[in-house]
Amino acid sequence: MRRLALVGLACVACIRPVSAQVAGNVEAGVSNVKYDRFLASGAASLGSVLRWDDPAGRGFVNARGTYLRFESGRHSVDASANGSWFTPIGSRWRGELGLAAGASQYANIASFRHADLEARIHWMQGTRGSWLGATVGSASFGSGARSVAVLVLGRWWLVGDMTMFASADRSFIGDTAYSDLRSSARWRLAKVTLEGVLGTRVWSRGGGRGVFIEGSAALALGTHAALVVSGGRYPTDAVSGSIAGRYATAALRLGSVGLRRPNPSPRVPSISLHSGNGATVDPPEDARLDIETAEDDAVRLIVHAIRATTVEISGDFTDWQPVTLTRVSADDSAWEGVFRISRGLHRINVRRDGGAWRAPVGTTRSADDYDGEVGVFLVP
Amino acid sequence: MIIAALLIAIQTPVQDPRLDRLDPNTRATVVAIVDSARSIGLPSEPLVQRALEGTTKGAAGERIVLAVRRLAGDLGTVRAALGNSSTPPELEAAVAALRAGASTQLLAKLRAARRPPLTMALAVLADLVASGVPADSAAAAVLALAPRARDADLVEFRRAVERDIALGAPPAAATSIRVNAGANTLTDAGPAGQPPRPTRP
Repeated sequence: MRRLALVGLACVACIRPVSAQVAGNVEAGVSNVKYDRFLASGAASLGSVLRWDDPAGRGFVNARGTYLRFESGRHSVDASANGSWFTPIGSRWRGELGLAAGASQYANIASFRHADLEARIHWMQGTRGSWLGATVGSASFGSGARSVAVLVLGRWWLVGDMTMFASADRSFIGDTAYSDLRSSARWRLAKVTLEGVLGTRVWSRGGGRGVFIEGSAALALGTHAALVVSGGRYPTDAVSGSIAGRYATAALRLGSVGLRRPNPSPRVPSISLHSGNGATVDPPEDARLDIETAEDDAVRLIVHAIRATTVEISGDFTDWQPVTLTRVSADDSAWEGVFRISRGLHRINVRRDGGAWRAPVGTTRSADDYDGEVGVFLVP
Repeated sequence: MIIAALLIAIQTPVQDPRLDRLDPNTRATVVAIVDSARSIGLPSEPLVQRALEGTTKGAAGERIVLAVRRLAGDLGTVRAALGNSSTPPELEAAVAALRAGASTQLLAKLRAARRPPLTMALAVLADLVASGVPADSAAAAVLALAPRARDADLVEFRRAVERDIALGAPPAAATSIRVNAGANTLTDAGPAGQPPRPTRP
């Protein structure tokens, strides 16, 4: 079950806290799992993740659930939720207060519950930062409740295209105590997200010990689907009740798959805007807008639309009259037009093959007052 | 008589021929809203464009009227915050920021903190919020950079934040670290118009 926590973590991490506030996905997959002191078993899994972000950006709530059915016909159910509230950001410091709760049950035999309160303080400088956190709470196996206390010190870095984390924690769950030294990295490319965890459990009393390593790769299969493969070995989590094991999983994720948005065009100092509540994390792949300033205040708009027969644009610089773009001979997927566009903010839509008007990638999607979307960009 | 007729003609706003694309009832209402906005010094072009956008998208007349009226209200709101000297691009950018979650108090602070034009600062503010940066964090970042950063610095700042977010950094953290980095860069900046000196990675 813990292996799915990694998948869940990947899901949560890739859900961008957009202004739309809610994102989620459903994931179905197959696994081979070998819990410590159990035989290996195949399993089918079904999970879901849902995340809500406070419109003011001061907090979030995240929930997930997983159903797992083993070869034996037994099943396990796991559900958890957590949320955090953040203090206003200071020059380098920010506080966080969080609540987490969860429950799991295996084969109507064993059940776990836990509820925790966590406080963190974050320190940020340059392309790195640190956090110090403390958790107190309760975990129960059946009817016996045990106190939970966890102290953690962590650090993160941005290195090139990679985000790396390292942390050390000490956990006390009833009579059980252990320390984890953990490092992890996330590398998000255009269509693939790679994540890995490497750690070791030391100074353990009742929590096991040894090295653990996990990895996952999520390959986007479009804007709302992804193939996720993951595997590795994870340690016992005495708080949530998962026991150590090895696993390999392949799953299909539907919903928010966390595509990385393309970087802004290096040629164009354009800024895209959003007016409130319509942003999504998965822009269409087949219509991307590049903007180039030409001579005499003219602006060249280039729309990349793969396999399009016709491409039209309309915007406030055309008085919202559709204008058919010209295919660029050197690249069949590129269409362009040159317009006189004044400095400032502008709104644009793109239509391919007479379809719906869409906001192109390269602008930020925005609600358009007409139950649709519009792309907004700035000509500096 | 001729002079009187000329005065009347001068004082009577000429209906924008582009609005002929609207149906007669919708056009009459939109024209009234546009004229009303113009009479109090608000820019009319964004209102006309919002109406034309509605026609292109096949929106019903009442939706077009609603959208134009809402935009006129927002333009008035942000002008009250930014002052009567605000330019149309500034007002449009401010409306975007307002709809993204920026308060009128913040707009007023930004006006006080930065010399005109504010278009770029307002655009960056709105874009940060749209990217998931908490409104208070985005406001703090833009206000911190506003007094000294050039428009190009703001563009680069926004790009850096977006890149960090794409790499997985929490939006608020990405904004904060880039503000700090931006502050350092600005400290090391060369003379106006020249790129900043390289700094250690």
